[in-house]
Amino acid sequence: MVDNPRELIPIIDNLGYVIDEELATVLFLMQKLEKPLLLEGNPGVGKTKVPYILSNMLGYELVRLQCYEGLDVNNAIYEWNYQKQLLAIKISESSSKSDKEKEEMIFGEDYLLKRPLLKAISNNKRMILLIDEIDRADEEFEAFLLELLSDFQISIPELGTISAKHKPIVVLTSNRTRELGDALKRRCLYHWVDYPSPEKEMQIIKKHLPNIEAQLAEQIATFVEKVRTLKLDKTPGIAETIDWARGIAALHNDDAAMYNSLSCLLKSNNDIKVVKNEFFTK
Amino acid sequence: MGQHYTQFSSFSEAFVGFVQEARKRGFQSGIQCTKDTFESALFGLWPDKALFEYALSSLFCQEQEEREVFKKLYTQFWKQKGTVIRDKRTNKNQKSIVTNSSNTAVMLGTGETDEEEEGEEAKTTSGANAKETLKQTDFAYLTKHQSDLLDELSEKLVREMSQRLKRRKKKANKGQIDLANSIRINIQNGGNMIKLAKKNKKKDKYRLMVLLDVSGSMDKYSFYLLKFLWTLRSNFKQIEVFTFSTKLMRITDFISDKNMAVALAMVSHNASHWSSGTKIGGCLKDFNDNYAKRYLNGKTMTIVLSDGLDTGEPAILDTAMQQIKMRSKKLIWLNPLKGMQGYEPIQMGMKAALPSLNHFGSAHNFESLLTLEKLLNDA
Repeated sequence: MVDNPRELIPIIDNLGYVIDEELATVLFLMQKLEKPLLLEGNPGVGKTKVPYILSNMLGYELVRLQCYEGLDVNNAIYEWNYQKQLLAIKISESSSKSDKEKEEMIFGEDYLLKRPLLKAISNNKRMILLIDEIDRADEEFEAFLLELLSDFQISIPELGTISAKHKPIVVLTSNRTRELGDALKRRCLYHWVDYPSPEKEMQIIKKHLPNIEAQLAEQIATFVEKVRTLKLDKTPGIAETIDWARGIAALHNDDAAMYNSLSCLLKSNNDIKVVKNEFFTK
Repeated sequence: MGQHYTQFSSFSEAFVGFVQEARKRGFQSGIQCTKDTFESALFGLWPDKALFEYALSSLFCQEQEEREVFKKLYTQFWKQKGTVIRDKRTNKNQKSIVTNSSNTAVMLGTGETDEEEEGEEAKTTSGANAKETLKQTDFAYLTKHQSDLLDELSEKLVREMSQRLKRRKKKANKGQIDLANSIRINIQNGGNMIKLAKKNKKKDKYRLMVLLDVSGSMDKYSFYLLKFLWTLRSNFKQIEVFTFSTKLMRITDFISDKNMAVALAMVSHNASHWSSGTKIGGCLKDFNDNYAKRYLNGKTMTIVLSDGLDTGEPAILDTAMQQIKMRSKKLIWLNPLKGMQGYEPIQMGMKAALPSLNHFGSAHNFESLLTLEKLLNDA
């Protein structure tokens, strides 16, 4: 465990993630304060990568919950293993147990299927819990998360309240397709992940493509920065930049490579037209 | 204005002072926040001011827009003297909306077009009373500052409203089979599924159809109503919006943009018919002929926002209204003029429409718009 956020930077850098001082401070603090971290930012800026890096760095297992509209308790926390329950009832038909005892048996831990949230808090070792794209889940689910995030416990009607054996490290990400509730935000540290500066993006490209020429990497990074200022249907994220750099490298960086591989960077016909008009017409 | 850490006798007091300062500026900062501030200082982040700033920013800020303001506050408190900080509230994106959309068609008649920098304007203490007054102020008399505040308030209230509406569930005997409960109640039958338990079905979400009058006579109101509809749209997925004056136009796609400024700009860009004459009957007939089949069904509540000053033939309006009523669950007319004292629905247009209405209400201030909740809930 490090004593200063700055010490985190080289460690994380070695793991293949370019991190700035601010995010390093926040990561440092979230471990110290044992608070969940809410990462907001545009798609493709590397939010989801953060918990994976933490998992690598700290050696804790990661469990991921992908949110979507209509996500409910059965998919997020637990479900009963119905088949097993039915079988158990059949098997115990001839036994002398009372109905009450039978009920207690089939609603016991053996018949419980743990979904990510329950898994994260009931595990014997500390875990990293990634709640991805929380803005896609509906408000009801968000409200449900409050108990988990502030007290690290979950209530199951049949079993009672389960408290965390080891507080998981929780990272939430949001693309900001809707505003999250204040109550949720209040419980989290907040960090906005922005598109990287050209220098940082260059570093990232080099990290992923160690053999790339420095000049080309710089060219790509500055170009992408310009593209991001245009009004596009979908602004390219870092992942797209890397894909594009790979694309150009695969085409042996000839003169037309940048032009021909634009489809790696832009994901709609309209955007490609806009960018071609803006930068490639002579 | 604003305090500086040198004004405190110890650093602990300065930390507390800073939290209070942040609270004054409208940042979220409860006791937990004070505690966390102290703890992060203890972890060795203090006195490294850069790291300490990052740490506090993650504690205090809840959205990206707040960071700039926080940065200024931090600089002013911990670094230099005499920086002027603006209240976080005036920095929200609402401000840019007015800037972006001023002098465009949708802004006609709002009196908001003159851009004066309010900058250091004294912060309105938004206690319960101030909010009540704001809710009750006629749209036609809102000042620019009030209108900014109202944007913020309306967003909050509409969100709360949508949450309340969604929370209410109806007990039902039909619906999905609840396996967990079915097993439980069938234990006494040895696990043979004789009785089936059902899950309570969630009440169907509402479908709203809004027809907004944007003719010249509505100028004072249409801009605010449009903003309200944008807020409504961001909270209720199933809502369709049309504008009409001399012709009908579907604007649902325009106001679906996440950013209010962009949404208003798009409407403005496409609304050639803004602030022209009124042919309610003709437009509604057009709506019936071309859109009603697609957009209306037994679950739809149709809301007409108009002053009812029609220049067309009343008979056309009458027929059109009847047809809409047949296709929707409820037909509601909200009229901004109804807020005026002594208003009577005696104009020919209004008279023609009245018999087909389920509800006739006012729409001159925010409070009157909020009565929608009751109507939605009764539906």
